[in-house]
Amino acid sequence: MMTMDQGAAPQTEGGEFVVSPHPYATQLRTERLAREAALGSRRETLLYLNGVNKTFDGFKAINNLSLVLERGEMRAIIGPNGAGKTTMMDIITGKTRPDAGEVYFRGEVDLTKHDEPAIASMGIGRKFQKPTVFESHTVEDNLALSLSGSRSVLTALLHKKSAADAGKIDEILATTRLTDKRKRLASGLSHGQKQWLEIGMLLAQDPELLLVDEPVAGMTDAETEETARLLRDIAQKHSVIVVEHDMHFVRELGVKVTCLHEGSVLSEGSIDHVSRDPRVIEVYLGR
Amino acid sequence: MRCMLKRLSLLWLLILAGLAAAPVWAAEGDAAAIVQSFGGKQGYDETETHIKEAAATGDPAVAPALRALRDGNLYWRKSDEAVFIATESGDTLKLADPMTGADAGTAPKDDFTKVRVKNSIRVAVTAALGSLTLRAENAVQRLRAADTLFSEADPEMIEPLDGAIAAETDATVKARMEEARAAAVLESDRPAEEKAAAAKVLEQRGDREALNKLATFASSTKDEAARGAAERAIAAIESNIAFWGQAQNVWYGLSLGSVLLLAAIGLAITFGVMGVINMAHGEMVMLGAYTTFVVQEQIRQSAPFLFEWSLAIAIPLAFLVSAAVGLVLERSLIRFLYGRPLETLLATFGVSLVLQQAVRSIFGPTNRQVGNPDWMSGAFDVGMMSVTWNRLWIIVFALLVFAALLLVLNKTPLGLQMRAVTQNRKMASAMGIRTPWIDAMTFALGSGIAGMAGVALSQIDNVSPNLGQGYIIDSFMVVVFGGVGNLWGTLVGAMTLGILNKLLEPFAGAVLGKIVVLVLIILFIQKRPRGLFAQKGRFVDA
Amino acid sequence: MILARFLGPRVIVLVAVLLAAAVLVPAATLALPASSPFHIPAYLVPLIGKYVCYALLALALDLVWGYVGILSLGHGAFFALGGYAMGMYLMRQIGSRGVYGNPILPDFMVFLNWKELPWYWTGFGEFWFAAIMVVLVPGLLAFVFGFFAFRSRVTGVYLSIITQAMTYALLLAFFRNDMGFGGNNGLTDFKDILGFPIQAETTRAGLFAASCVALALGVLVVGAITRSKLGKLMVAVRDAESRTRFIGWRPEYVKLFAFTVSAVMAGIAGALYVPQVGIINPGEFAPVNSIEIVIWAAVGGRGTLLGPVIGALLVNYGKSVFTGLAPEYWLFVLGGLFVLVTLFLPRGIVGTIDHGWSALRERRRAARAEKGESMGEGGVSSQAAE
Ligand SMILES: Nc1ncnc2c1ncn2[C@@H]1O[C@H](COP(=O)(O)OP(=O)(O)OP(=O)(O)O)[C@@H](O)[C@H]1O
Ligand SMILES: [Mg+2]
Repeated sequence: MMTMDQGAAPQTEGGEFVVSPHPYATQLRTERLAREAALGSRRETLLYLNGVNKTFDGFKAINNLSLVLERGEMRAIIGPNGAGKTTMMDIITGKTRPDAGEVYFRGEVDLTKHDEPAIASMGIGRKFQKPTVFESHTVEDNLALSLSGSRSVLTALLHKKSAADAGKIDEILATTRLTDKRKRLASGLSHGQKQWLEIGMLLAQDPELLLVDEPVAGMTDAETEETARLLRDIAQKHSVIVVEHDMHFVRELGVKVTCLHEGSVLSEGSIDHVSRDPRVIEVYLGR
Repeated sequence: MRCMLKRLSLLWLLILAGLAAAPVWAAEGDAAAIVQSFGGKQGYDETETHIKEAAATGDPAVAPALRALRDGNLYWRKSDEAVFIATESGDTLKLADPMTGADAGTAPKDDFTKVRVKNSIRVAVTAALGSLTLRAENAVQRLRAADTLFSEADPEMIEPLDGAIAAETDATVKARMEEARAAAVLESDRPAEEKAAAAKVLEQRGDREALNKLATFASSTKDEAARGAAERAIAAIESNIAFWGQAQNVWYGLSLGSVLLLAAIGLAITFGVMGVINMAHGEMVMLGAYTTFVVQEQIRQSAPFLFEWSLAIAIPLAFLVSAAVGLVLERSLIRFLYGRPLETLLATFGVSLVLQQAVRSIFGPTNRQVGNPDWMSGAFDVGMMSVTWNRLWIIVFALLVFAALLLVLNKTPLGLQMRAVTQNRKMASAMGIRTPWIDAMTFALGSGIAGMAGVALSQIDNVSPNLGQGYIIDSFMVVVFGGVGNLWGTLVGAMTLGILNKLLEPFAGAVLGKIVVLVLIILFIQKRPRGLFAQKGRFVDA
Repeated sequence: MILARFLGPRVIVLVAVLLAAAVLVPAATLALPASSPFHIPAYLVPLIGKYVCYALLALALDLVWGYVGILSLGHGAFFALGGYAMGMYLMRQIGSRGVYGNPILPDFMVFLNWKELPWYWTGFGEFWFAAIMVVLVPGLLAFVFGFFAFRSRVTGVYLSIITQAMTYALLLAFFRNDMGFGGNNGLTDFKDILGFPIQAETTRAGLFAASCVALALGVLVVGAITRSKLGKLMVAVRDAESRTRFIGWRPEYVKLFAFTVSAVMAGIAGALYVPQVGIINPGEFAPVNSIEIVIWAAVGGRGTLLGPVIGALLVNYGKSVFTGLAPEYWLFVLGGLFVLVTLFLPRGIVGTIDHGWSALRERRRAARAEKGESMGEGGVSSQAAE
């Protein structure tokens, strides 16, 4: 899965590291190297999932799932209903705790030890499968609440809108094509507009990693295309994981694809590679 | 059916009591005559014959007279040779009837003559007293003799008791005799080892009387070893009594728990299925109690012979009345508020105010009298705790209701659909389940159960318009604590809270106990915000 | 004025009205002769003062319920705690004028044969201390209670029930004689406050003015909070709590802040209420009282500043009128109010008017937009929401 950095490993002799004549020193060094090797394999990654398991009432929703996302990468995740895609996002964002396995962000932060706000503040943003925006706020206020910055209650109380904030909001409104809706209540938006507003809220957070769950569900073809373009734009500056059923959309993104099935990775590679994989065809068509 | 059971056990008790009492009454006539024969001038031999005769009756009723004779307290009146037990005070005698011990006034000493005694007479009396009752044919009589001797704890009786114990065949009676002997030994001047052994015997007995005997002994004896033994026995008995005290508290707790179960279970299913809290639930309970009242009024006026059956009649009626009110409430109000649980809470609170005031206007603000049928009244003892029939039946009733509801939920189509709606309303409705109908049925069922709870509560609490209010908050706590994932949560929650409340009460008092329970619940939901048996699944909104 | 722009004209008007009332009502009762048509009879002053305290209480509840979505059924407890803190001060002011003439111990303690003041009564002889306690005790209770409740993500009806249980537990506790708060009878027979006789018309006018000023301040505080970014966050928490978490906010702290501020306001309302009605007893903790507060806010319109104030004044005026005419029917009316408001007027009076107004404006704007840019909007909006 990951190629280990072999250069750092010392010479071996009969399978044993020889570091010093003292056996204990050798043992210590061996252990340290093993630790570093493990860290090394994830150090360069942005997101690192290894052997993750999650069981709901005896049902294995996530089964020994391993997945690695490089910095700056955009990844599409596909898989049949119930494959565990949303659950995987739940685990990454701290909504669900895995039963076993490692989940690391930037190679060093153990995400299983943090809760949702902490993880969000670290720079992981999430769009939900079902769009959720703050319905009784205007589009503009939705974005203002999502803007990165202090999350303390007292700062929020004394907060004054700065010019920089306003500029950022204008920019996001333009990106998500909501400029003329800025004073509208979010509850008055159409389904597609809500999806876009939610993506806009993600952008406002300025996260390092965006998790986007089914962004084009219920969109017209034209909207889908727009959304694909928007996501590709976003991927210029951010790392993104997109979950989607819509194969045209995934093809349009033109990125590496991971197919999940029954909670683990079934196939990984280019869209052509994955869609030709007989096992993928089996799970999509074989039932 | 329950009635029958109760009748049978009552009958059985009566037979037992009859067995115990019958021979005593039969012998009373002769016994009195024999006691009277001590009157008049007579020689020692004659007196001894009378003693033997008295003993031969086998009637313990003669024992007081014999004892008085031995102690020199038996007198006869010069005028008519009537015999009395008397105590001297100055120039007068305080008289008592020799058979019954009833007060017979006072009289000048000169009018009476003491029945004369000497040592041989005393020995004869003691022997007679022993054989008289301890060797009686009837086991119940022997038992009573042993009990009398236990409370008297007379060292003189040790020997007769020894004899009786050796001859005794009935294990229970023998044990009682040994206890009586032990009590006597403690009072005697026997060696310390024997007293220690006696203390052991009393420890076996383990009740408050044994404790008293041991305590008196321990405070008076000079013998270190014997006192040590007695104190150990006291400690053992005290812990035994404490155990039964706790058992009694647990019993009270179960009783409270069953009431909470009845009150909370309907709440739990409506909350589970519909996600709404019915603040008028307490008033459904209250309606059930008033239904019982009305039923009993009708019976009193037109068919008094049915009174014993009044609760059996009230239960289905209360169910129907409350279920009907619940149904109307759901159809006319709650269904319009679906998905707005907080508003539902407020609206149902309004309904509870209206229902309370309505009942107050119709039945008046004061408590109404609801009677207990015979089989609901009285109590019996288990070990050292007392169990009242009404509490017992309420526990049984609560468990029956619980079991019935379990059956309904798990074995009927309605139950299946209710569980489906509980877990995933949208999916259930997509599968063709008529969720509005399920809501209405659930609400009616929950309210109906509350009505039945009202029948039970009418037996132990005042029936007033505020009846429901007193239980509603505790019922909420049960639901919060037990969770709404399944009915067992409600059972465990109700029993735990009931028992916890009652166990805390002796230490903290009723009010502080309640507060402690509340704080514990708040701490508990830190760990499990959705209660003991949380509803599971991804569709439970966070 | 910046303040006016920030708070909006309506708040300014409301505050102005309250401040005017704080001056004019006392003037009308003290200075005007009884024959004047503007004269306000003295007995009415504490009555209206009581309503003003209720309005502050409703406003406090509205901050948590209307804006953060926490339906507290225990706000009566904070109100009562503030009231008790004030009552304890008033009790100590009686001094040796009590029935038993004990200079230190209040009458009920003498009656219970207590020998000295319990430790928690120390300090209440001083007004400043009592004033601090009025704020501190409800605030602290709310903080501790809220900390545990919100941290464990207890929400919705669960939270409502727990708050109800809280006030119920306090009710039971304050009923006890050995708690040292006068048991069943509570605290009463007050003589004077800050040296002024409590029954005097001037004192009552002063208390009335203080209540109006407190309410005005409350409106300003709630207005400032709800219009800040935090206020927007509160509404966001109300509408989609878990979403706020995924953008990095901690809704539990938002709730804790609102709950504590609200409890403090309720405590102040209680402290102003007690000297005007002359008694505080455990009945104030009754769960029913707390739910009544909710209906005040609901009638007026939750989630608005004006609503709870209007609601509290209206409902309580109605209550006074009704209990005078046909007391036995008041519960029917109150119960009916709960049902009707939730069914037919969920936004309350003010909310409904606002909504109608803004819908009208929206429609007009839409009509204008139709004319102006009949080309329609981008493809995104053509997808109708389900
Ligand atoms: N909280 C939960 N409790 C119980 N089961 C759950 C929970 N969350 C998810 N599951 C189950 O885990 C499985 C995986 O669900 P998940 O939502 O991750 O699938 P998905 O790949 O996102 O499917 P879809 O394409 O339909 O969105 C499903 O069978 C689901 O029912
Ligand atoms: Mg999904």
